[in-house]
Amino acid sequence: MAIDPTMPVLIVDDYKTMLRIIRNLLKQIGFEDVDEAADGSEALGKMRDKRYGLVISDWNMEPMTGIELLREVRADEKLNRTPFIMVTAESKTENVIAAKKAGVNNYIVKPFNAETLKAKIDAVFGE
Amino acid sequence: MSPASRTSETEAERQFARMRAYLDATRAADGATSFRDVVALAEITAASMQAFFASIDAAIYRELRDIADYIGKMRAEITALEPSDLKANRLPKAGEDLWAIVGATEDATNQIMECAEDILSAVNRDDDTLREVANAKVMAIFEACSFQDITGQRIARVIETLQHIEQRVGRFAAAVEPNADTPGGGDSVDQREARARELLLHGPQSAGEAIRQDEVDALLRS
Repeated sequence: MAIDPTMPVLIVDDYKTMLRIIRNLLKQIGFEDVDEAADGSEALGKMRDKRYGLVISDWNMEPMTGIELLREVRADEKLNRTPFIMVTAESKTENVIAAKKAGVNNYIVKPFNAETLKAKIDAVFGE
Repeated sequence: MSPASRTSETEAERQFARMRAYLDATRAADGATSFRDVVALAEITAASMQAFFASIDAAIYRELRDIADYIGKMRAEITALEPSDLKANRLPKAGEDLWAIVGATEDATNQIMECAEDILSAVNRDDDTLREVANAKVMAIFEACSFQDITGQRIARVIETLQHIEQRVGRFAAAVEPNADTPGGGDSVDQREARARELLLHGPQSAGEAIRQDEVDALLRS
C-alpha cells in the first residue's frame, strides 16, 4: 500500500493545540487534506460521511475515547480497513497491548517529533 | 426531661407514698415507732433506691451505646476517607505531576527560545540557508508546543485528586456535623474513576514508568 499524499487524513484529539501541531507536522510531511475531530464520536460521524485514508487519534478523550473509536471502526465493515495510528500519552504496556488487540496499525507515544510521525506513517503504508 | 427520669420520679413518688402510708398506719395503731417499724421502713427505702438506681443504669447504658455507635460511625467515615491511599498514592502522584509540569514547561520554553535564536542568527545568511533553518526550527517549535497537551492531562489528574479529597472530606464533615454542606459531584468522581479503569485511562506516566517508543514498537512487532 503506497502513501498517497492527496488522501484525506482525519486527526482526532480533544486538545486544539495538539490538533494544530499534528496538522502542521502532516503539512510539512506533505499531507494537505486534513480534517479534525475533538473526540471519538465526532470522528466516527465524519468517517461515515467521508472516506479517509488514515486516522491519527489520541486515546484519552471524552465522551468517546480513542480505543473505543478504534473498536467501533474495526467492528464496522465499511470502515474496518482504514489505517489507524494511536498518538497518545498513554504509555503503559497494557495500553499498547489493548490497542494492538483492538487492531491498531501503529502507536506513537507523546511527546513525539515529525520524524517519528513520518516513520510510523511510512511503516503503516509499508514504505 | 428524659422518659427515664420521668419513670424514676414516678417510682420514687410511689415509694414515698408507700412509706408515708406505712408511717401513718403505724402511728394510728399505738403512737410509737418500734425496731420492727424501722426495719420495715429501711426495706421500703432500699426497694425505692433499687428502682432509682435501675433507672439510672438504663439511662447510662443508652448513652454509652449512643457514644459507641457514634465512634463506630466515625471509624467507618475515617476508613472511607482512605487516608493511606491519599498519603501513599494520590498526593505523591499529584506532586510528581506538578513537578513534571514545571519540567515540561521549562524544557519547552528553552527549546522554543533556542529555535527563535537560531532563526535570528540565520537572518544574515543567504536565502536558501535562512529558508532551510526557518523550516527546521519552525517544525521544532511545533513539536515543542506539544507540551501543552501533556501538561493539560497532568493538571486534569491533579484536579481529579483534589476533587477526590474534597468529596471525602465533605462526606466526613457531613457525618460529623449533619448540617454541614456536602459538596456535590461526589458520585461523578467515582464514576469517572471507574470509567478510567475500564478504558485504561492512565494519562502521562512519570519519566521512569513510561515505556519508550522503541519498546512500544517491539510490543507491536511481538
